[in-house]
Amino acid sequence: MIEIKNLKKSFGNKQVLNQINIQFAPGKVYGIVGENGAGKTTLFRCIAGLEVFEGEIHATKSPLKNHLGLLFTDPFFFPKLTGKEYIQLLCNAREIDLHDIDTRNIFDLPLNQYASTYSTGMKKKLAITAILLQKNDYFILDEPFNGVDIQSNIIITEIIHKLKELGKIVLISSHIFSTLSATCDEIHLLKEGEIIRSVEKPEFEILENEMKEIIMENRIDRLGLK
Amino acid sequence: MKSYFAIQIKITARKFLDLGVHPILGVLLILVGFIAFSEYLFRQISFAGYLFAFVSLTFTSSLSAQKRNDFLQLCFPEKRYKLLRTIENFLTTMPFVIFLIYKQNFLLAFILLFISVIFAWSNFRTNLNFTLPTPFHRKPFEFIVGFRRTILLLIGAIFIEFIALSVNNFNLGIFALALVFLIVLTFYTQPENEIFVWNFVVSPTQFLLSKIKIALIFSSLLSLPFVATLITFYPEKYPIILATWLIGFMLIITIILAKYAAYPSEMNLPEGIVIALGLSFPPLLLIFAPYFYFKAIQKLKPYLP
Repeated sequence: MIEIKNLKKSFGNKQVLNQINIQFAPGKVYGIVGENGAGKTTLFRCIAGLEVFEGEIHATKSPLKNHLGLLFTDPFFFPKLTGKEYIQLLCNAREIDLHDIDTRNIFDLPLNQYASTYSTGMKKKLAITAILLQKNDYFILDEPFNGVDIQSNIIITEIIHKLKELGKIVLISSHIFSTLSATCDEIHLLKEGEIIRSVEKPEFEILENEMKEIIMENRIDRLGLK
Repeated sequence: MKSYFAIQIKITARKFLDLGVHPILGVLLILVGFIAFSEYLFRQISFAGYLFAFVSLTFTSSLSAQKRNDFLQLCFPEKRYKLLRTIENFLTTMPFVIFLIYKQNFLLAFILLFISVIFAWSNFRTNLNFTLPTPFHRKPFEFIVGFRRTILLLIGAIFIEFIALSVNNFNLGIFALALVFLIVLTFYTQPENEIFVWNFVVSPTQFLLSKIKIALIFSSLLSLPFVATLITFYPEKYPIILATWLIGFMLIITIILAKYAAYPSEMNLPEGIVIALGLSFPPLLLIFAPYFYFKAIQKLKPYLP
């Protein structure tokens, strides 16, 4: 279980997160949606302990960060470090002794090539492989489907299902609603730093339509297309 | 093209300001440092000119990186691009050329200028499908990345050691050993992305000790052949050799601690001054290292609670 109570975060005068109260239960997948700048990444960074915040975040397995696999939208890679060495580095950090990296290379990545030369999708797949091999209990996946080919999208969806089966907690942010409806049990809509709506699976379609209305308003008409 | 160089000047000025130095003072410091180091090099080493040319070409070749040049080619028409690159390489090489002329090494100065212009017209492809193997694969990342990045310099150090032994110049041999340590120090000058510290499941103390342990083992591996050769050829000078080795290790420990004392920012002018003082009078490192250690612990606590 991860429990967030009265979470607030501001950068200077700008309130980025305001009174976030939410619980994440084991064996469930949670989607966090919202416009760019809504506070999704800041929320993830607070959960990971990468930001100083007001409020409380508790997890059954403590400290939370030692059991958390964190995938950023744009993962960082050192130049001149191969894919295999990147995985080794992240597993060493978690004191995981790993000898059979090649057999666990489920995305068939060229692990002996420098990771910095990988395409965007390959980098994301490498970062996902590394956090999976860290044997985490909690996962934050910020845009896991972005830039990834359709085959790998299917694999990632299946991985998320497997993690759910194993009783892990998975938080996903994505701008593609269909990927969230395929993987999540609950979706939380974040707007201007507040969770304004939380829905369960049967209501996903309603939420998608509501979001369309909120987002679109009369934007297309303003273009005056004829 | 004028605006391009104006932007380059702005970027350079910002880099100095980020280090807490006024740009004019920064340029003056670099100029004085360059002249002092060059003069020292030419007084100490008989083939300093070649080493000098090598350093100069390392700078100019870095401007020929593929991505950078692809970008410039997109921005400028072909003729202007070539002119711009020629001017860039010319300006980068000029301080070295002027110094070589001052030392009356006219031929080398001309060759250096010629090669640097050739470099301006070439585009180095860095995406070769080749991964340089290293003996450090079980413990990424500093030594793996650093070794691959500085392989040419390490080969240069081996070459200097070889020359030192062949001309029976002990001081040059010690210089080669010191150069290895100076190269290793560069592995620790940049702070890594926070995620690579955050991921660790140890306390700040354990984190620092583990970093130091790995650095000492791997730097021993790199420097041992130099030490062994020097002791074999100059057994009577073993105290100097061992002292250099020890100072090298102390410097590595200090720079690791200084790096994390400034973390997540880059090491700044104060850390730089302290390291420079330590280089000129090594016993000071015994005072600086504990100071950086306690500061590093504080800086790492948010990431490793």
